Amino acid sequence: MAFLELKGIRKSFDGVHALKGVDFTVEEGEVHGLVGENGSGKSTLMKIIAGVYTPDEGETYLDDRLVTDNSPFFSSVSGISVIYQDLSLFPNLTVVENIYMGKLVSDSGKIVNPKKYIQPAIDTLNGLGVAINPYDLVEMLPIAKQQIIAIARALTNKTRLLILDEPTTALTRKEILQLFEILGKLKEKGISFIFISHKLDEVLEICDRVTVLRDGDHIGTEPASSLGIEKIESMMLGKSLTFERKTSSGAKETEVLRLEKLTKKNNFADVSLTLKAGEIVGISGLLGSGRTELALALFGIAPADSGRIFINGRETRIDSVDAAVQRGIAYVPEDRLQQGLVMDHSIGDNIVLATQDDYVRKMRLIDRRAMRVTSERWIRDLGIKTDSAKKSARVLSGGNQQKVVVAKWLAMKPTILILDSPTVGIDVGAKSALYETIRDSARNGMAILMISDEMPELLSNCDRIYVMRNGRMIREFDAQKIGESDLRNALELSGTTSFSGVGV
Amino acid sequence: MRRYFFNRHEWFLVGVLVVLSAVITCINPSFLSFENITDLLKSFTVLGIFSLGMFMVIVSGGFDISFTAIAQAAQYAVVALLMFRWASIGDIWVAIFLAVLFGLVLGCVNGAIIHFFKIPPIMVTIATQNLYYGIMYVITKGDLIHDIPLYYREFSYARVIEFHRVDGAPYGLTLVTAIWIVLGIAAALFLKYTRLGRSIFALGGNRISAERIGFNICLTTIFVYGAMGAIAGLAAIVDVSIAGSVIPNSIVGKELQIIAAVILGGTAITGGKGSIQGTFLGVFLFAVLSNSLTLLKIPSYYYKVFTGLVILLAVAGNALQIKRQEGKKVRVQVDEIRAGGA
Amino acid sequence: MFTRIKEFFDGTTLSLFVTMVLVFLYMYLLNGGKYVDSYNIRSMAYQLPIIGFLAVGMMFTMLTGGINLAIVSNANLNGLIICLTLSWLTNSDSLVRNNMKNATVAQVVIAIAVGVAISVAIGVFHGFMVAWLRIPALLVTLGTMTFIIGVNEAATRGYTISGFPAYITSIGTENLWGIPIPMILFVLSCIVAWLLLYRTRFGFSLYMMGANETAAKFSGVNIMKISILQYVVSSLFASLTSLVMIGQLNSIKANYYESYVLVAVLACFLGGVDPNGGFGRLASVIVATFILQFISSGLNLQRLDPYMVTAMWGGIVIILIFGRALIAYFRSQLKRKTLEGGLL
Repeated sequence: MAFLELKGIRKSFDGVHALKGVDFTVEEGEVHGLVGENGSGKSTLMKIIAGVYTPDEGETYLDDRLVTDNSPFFSSVSGISVIYQDLSLFPNLTVVENIYMGKLVSDSGKIVNPKKYIQPAIDTLNGLGVAINPYDLVEMLPIAKQQIIAIARALTNKTRLLILDEPTTALTRKEILQLFEILGKLKEKGISFIFISHKLDEVLEICDRVTVLRDGDHIGTEPASSLGIEKIESMMLGKSLTFERKTSSGAKETEVLRLEKLTKKNNFADVSLTLKAGEIVGISGLLGSGRTELALALFGIAPADSGRIFINGRETRIDSVDAAVQRGIAYVPEDRLQQGLVMDHSIGDNIVLATQDDYVRKMRLIDRRAMRVTSERWIRDLGIKTDSAKKSARVLSGGNQQKVVVAKWLAMKPTILILDSPTVGIDVGAKSALYETIRDSARNGMAILMISDEMPELLSNCDRIYVMRNGRMIREFDAQKIGESDLRNALELSGTTSFSGVGV
Repeated sequence: MRRYFFNRHEWFLVGVLVVLSAVITCINPSFLSFENITDLLKSFTVLGIFSLGMFMVIVSGGFDISFTAIAQAAQYAVVALLMFRWASIGDIWVAIFLAVLFGLVLGCVNGAIIHFFKIPPIMVTIATQNLYYGIMYVITKGDLIHDIPLYYREFSYARVIEFHRVDGAPYGLTLVTAIWIVLGIAAALFLKYTRLGRSIFALGGNRISAERIGFNICLTTIFVYGAMGAIAGLAAIVDVSIAGSVIPNSIVGKELQIIAAVILGGTAITGGKGSIQGTFLGVFLFAVLSNSLTLLKIPSYYYKVFTGLVILLAVAGNALQIKRQEGKKVRVQVDEIRAGGA
Repeated sequence: MFTRIKEFFDGTTLSLFVTMVLVFLYMYLLNGGKYVDSYNIRSMAYQLPIIGFLAVGMMFTMLTGGINLAIVSNANLNGLIICLTLSWLTNSDSLVRNNMKNATVAQVVIAIAVGVAISVAIGVFHGFMVAWLRIPALLVTLGTMTFIIGVNEAATRGYTISGFPAYITSIGTENLWGIPIPMILFVLSCIVAWLLLYRTRFGFSLYMMGANETAAKFSGVNIMKISILQYVVSSLFASLTSLVMIGQLNSIKANYYESYVLVAVLACFLGGVDPNGGFGRLASVIVATFILQFISSGLNLQRLDPYMVTAMWGGIVIILIFGRALIAYFRSQLKRKTLEGGLL
């Protein structure tokens, strides 16, 4: 029996159509995947189900009854809960307090006795089978445990449908498997899930059915078993995406970077690698493998404890961002919104931020006009879609924002460019433009270190690929000679792993 | 509930208090006498009452500079009104009632502006401080009121526990101090056992989550600033009864000291964390500090030097601790080197 | 050029400029010719720099979401240091009975230099505590403010100390070609501040770091350096304030102009400086100080209580909060209308 049924949902904001007649059903005890590019209407649909938005047209049925009262309160008493990407927990309160807070709000009565709530909260937590001290402060716990607390909180409200918005972005592979185990357990109890994610392999792994949206249109709903990643991608994009393998390597003989046994306690250990001018080298690793921590050490944000770094054959120390920049290292960070861009300032200012020294003229004053000219040139060269360099970076799409970050660093003419998950949350057009820019830079002799967990991206762009796991480099591949399955095995991505070898 | 009465920071404060008291007692044994301590508490009662309201404001993630101006205005308005207009109903409880009401209204105005216009509380309350205080001064022309009715003095002399010295002079725990302590206990119970009280912590911890989970944050915000105003009204009457006259600039200017006491008590300036116990300890620390200077015959000018040092040391110590914890954080569970491995 | 002018008059600056003109007209109507006679204009020109220095000094810290509560006590300490140095150099018996009157130019210059050095030290301390220990500026400066006031009180024992040589007092009271020296200093310091904010790497980094410190750090901005510099600049404005204050009051005291800390914050807020950092224009802050000064001079001429001025200062901010909210509301309505209209 369908628990939730939406028919012909339409919604527009300020005249822009976000949803153009979407049908959507969730069966009892089903995990329903919801996928689409950014701006396809996923989050609008989610908020309509949660009662935050009221649809302009269309009908909603809960247990086959027409819903007339569209409000967050109604959907919450009907057993619909949302776990937003930020989890919406209270970092300053304990685990149990967080779990019973929702119940406390929905119960009537102004006077509350916390004791009454504690035992049920602990029971709910134990029911999920995860060891968490119920009296720990939430801010002290890792994200994975916070996620489980958010689920436990939702369960205290007699939840029948739980909407998970990008639940796995901040989790390691092990933690994801644990989460899936919990979802499986709850599914057996008849609880349904809407699983919103951009990680298609995970969607296929956990979901029973998958609905694909594109530009507010309902493209299709199919059983997960009949879909593959390529199939979903082509539904999302309206065309099939082909990754062209690079045919020849532009690597030159000069070695620009060599790491020997680089180590940072609690981050990574004994990392060794080499990088030549004109070469694109991939580091494939999942979250929690130490891939980003390695990049942060190279860029001087969180310097390494021991080991040696050679740049252009000479040993150096990198203990600040300034030192890294001086040695020609640039870093396009993983978290574009927080680390990459000063969102509310102009595109132009963002582009010249890292190269201020180039504009210093007499009396140590800077030449704002030269800054503007340069930023306008980069906007043209990289095809950043804006009519003015003065517009704030916030108004750009994800892809164009990433181009701004890349422009900022290319302006510095680095010898080594580190790209950390460069295409996350970027639509296809921008993706291929970005690959083109990266390849171009490599052709001009720049050495590029590309960190990613997207296999096709690595295989099509890189000359060599290192694999990182649990803080160590475990393997090195020649990108021309391997396929996706080799990489997946090395990362232990498939649930049951047959890979047991030790590294090179 | 596995929340101990004192947490680590509070135990630290207790330790500092004990050491400080021990040192002073060695030099001047009269420090630990019941008489000295109750006198000391009485003289810090006004600050203590203020700190309870301030605690709630800061825990909710807010800030208030205007409460001293509210207290000053409430004090002047109520005392003058009960002397010159409604002398027939003059009574300490009427005065307290009116002052609390007066403060409540002005506090709610603060809360409403902060909530509806989404302006940082510090800005709103600096503006309203100027506004409230300025208007009061314009109306009163800065005149002092000396011959206040007797019931104010009597109020400050009333004792809950009374002893007599050899020479017959009474001493003991005063009513005003008892009111402060009872109010503190009431606030602690309120914060823990009511939905509104819990919503204050929730709001301070994560505003968006508090809204999403269904708390009425408009109500909470206005309540918090209203309560601060009401408490300021009460403190104003306690202040006039202890001081014995209305001086229009006796309270304004002390707001930062009260905020300092709350911060010293372990309340996070960013909101969400802290306790009433800690706030009491923060006030006690200031009280003992000032009293020790007096007993050690150090000129009172040095009081602020020490206060400033204590604030700086406390915040720096706290920050260092956070920094150290941050450094120890495990980001990646690094594999041990396996036998035969690279 | 046209875009420059248009930019200057966008949003908050425009509403502020209109407010300034309205306030000026209102005060003119209230006081008549007295308001614009040379005496009043001159007295405004002597008074305005004090609020101005404090506001601009405050602005440098607020651009990163910080605050400098110690700015006024820093100014008073600066005066005290000048006084201590001078009395020491002139072999005075005590601070109260001093020989400062006999100080030479060289001695005065030394005294001012020592004062500036102490201010720089305070600024470095603030910047360091904020950037390295990551303590909110509110707390750091609350601590130093209390500490400095304590030092001032302990050193002056609560007395007002006078007897400064004319070399110093003339800074606050004399004029050059008919223009009051404080005003000249204010104009010069505003030019320097403008250059610092808009034409140096420091200023550029300051704005960017104020809007997003992490992104600035990830772009190679040295957070510690910028933090220290911003608080040093703020302290230097305190030094300037002190030089003008000594002359105008012909004395120093532990806590002159104590209430101006919050007035300076208010001026910045009025001038559209975002209390969370990253945004705020020097021109608007200067306009805001003019508004505050116009109000205070106008009401002084009315022989109104100085506290009426305080009330009006608070009131004008509240009115602007309401006004800006109204403008924002109408703009969003207008935008929606045109959007819908365009699509239909």
